[in-house]
Amino acid sequence: MFKLFNNKRLFILLITLVSFIVLMGFSLGSRKSLTWPENFVRDTTGFVQNLFYKPAGYVAGLFQDIANLHDLAEENERLHLMVAQYTREKAQYNFIKAANERYMEELKFKKAQKELYDFELYIAQVISLTTEPSNNSIVLDLGSKDGIKPNMSVVSTEGLVGVISQVSNFTSTVKLMTMMDVNDPNSQPAISATVLNKEGQSFGMIEGFDTQSGMLQMNKIPVGDPIAVGDIVISSGVGGLYPRGLTIGEVKEVKIGQFGYTSTAIIDPAADFQDWKELFVVFTEERVE
Amino acid sequence: MRRSVLVLLLFLLFILQGTILPWLMPDSWQMRIIPNLVFIVLLFVTVYHHRHTALVLGLAFGMLHDVVFYGRILGAHSFAMGLSAYLIGLVFQIPRAPLPLMMTVVLLGSLLEDSILFAIYSVFNLTQVPYNWALLDHMLPTMLFHFAMGLVLYIPVRRQLELLKKETRKEENA
Repeated sequence: MFKLFNNKRLFILLITLVSFIVLMGFSLGSRKSLTWPENFVRDTTGFVQNLFYKPAGYVAGLFQDIANLHDLAEENERLHLMVAQYTREKAQYNFIKAANERYMEELKFKKAQKELYDFELYIAQVISLTTEPSNNSIVLDLGSKDGIKPNMSVVSTEGLVGVISQVSNFTSTVKLMTMMDVNDPNSQPAISATVLNKEGQSFGMIEGFDTQSGMLQMNKIPVGDPIAVGDIVISSGVGGLYPRGLTIGEVKEVKIGQFGYTSTAIIDPAADFQDWKELFVVFTEERVE
Repeated sequence: MRRSVLVLLLFLLFILQGTILPWLMPDSWQMRIIPNLVFIVLLFVTVYHHRHTALVLGLAFGMLHDVVFYGRILGAHSFAMGLSAYLIGLVFQIPRAPLPLMMTVVLLGSLLEDSILFAIYSVFNLTQVPYNWALLDHMLPTMLFHFAMGLVLYIPVRRQLELLKKETRKEENA
């Protein structure tokens, strides 16, 4: 038998093992900001990745566009219909908004209360990604210099994608919704959700993602809730972390929950978690905590 | 000189696997194949060069991956890549290994690395899926993908390593 470990080597091995466990445990918890070596490594790599991802996307997109050319007329027609409907609803919306602002004025709302549900979308370029199931994350080209902070929501044109997990000076990482986990104490917070067109009546918490089926789970739906299969689930804005009105997905199934009293809905996420190009970071009004 | 070429090559592969490869991969495979080109080259280094070089490079590039794609935990890839490259080198460090043996090493190493990663995530309660499911869902497809990439990389990487070896020998003689 050859000698595997002499004393010195065993010592080094144990020290390394212990320091790795310490590092992993330390990095698990929530961290306010990154240290400068991390910032440096992320920003330099981000710069190089930026040179590669976008051109590759354009080339891939060109081939895709040629393949999809015949769908274009159909899509155009659908968009025309949507624009017509949108302009009609826009007028309606302006009336309601004006009335709402007047009521707020008359009821003497505080400034913070008025701006509670205001948010702006900032476009961000994806610069690289990893699809590993236990650490599925995307790197964006906006960082703390652009005002990005941890836990801001990130949406695509389809719907909610995830939250910002770590921010360095010029890049930030997005933790996708697929990382949501009830059993993980450091997972992103649950999303309070409601149903489109039943906003006042429906409520539930989106708490986890099932990797095996690729579906989100909406728990704590109260008795007598009108949620049904085919409904579109949106974020309700209660709790304040996720802004109001972001599309999350479509209800596939409603069943009795874990404890037999509340219901649980299975939701097919609207974002399809692939072919990333641009994403939007949701900037909400600053809140005093 | 050659050493820095090797490090640059690894860095380039790291950039490529995060930026270009997702575009080349068909949509239905994207979640099932997790390309790790850096690790394939590390397996070549551990077999044809030396396991200590592979260990150090594995720790460094694993940490790079961890920091850049920091979602939940730091150090998982660093630990997995370093340890599996070293263990593979401990068993298979054969400077004249033929192609079939090297491909077996790529398959084994890829499985070992993914299993170590899975174990780390399980220990920290970050994954709830059973090992059997993870094996069929992404470890086996990734293994096959790494096998194919190993074939593509075999000639250029081996040539680089031969040059590196020649240079180290010259340095030792001088």
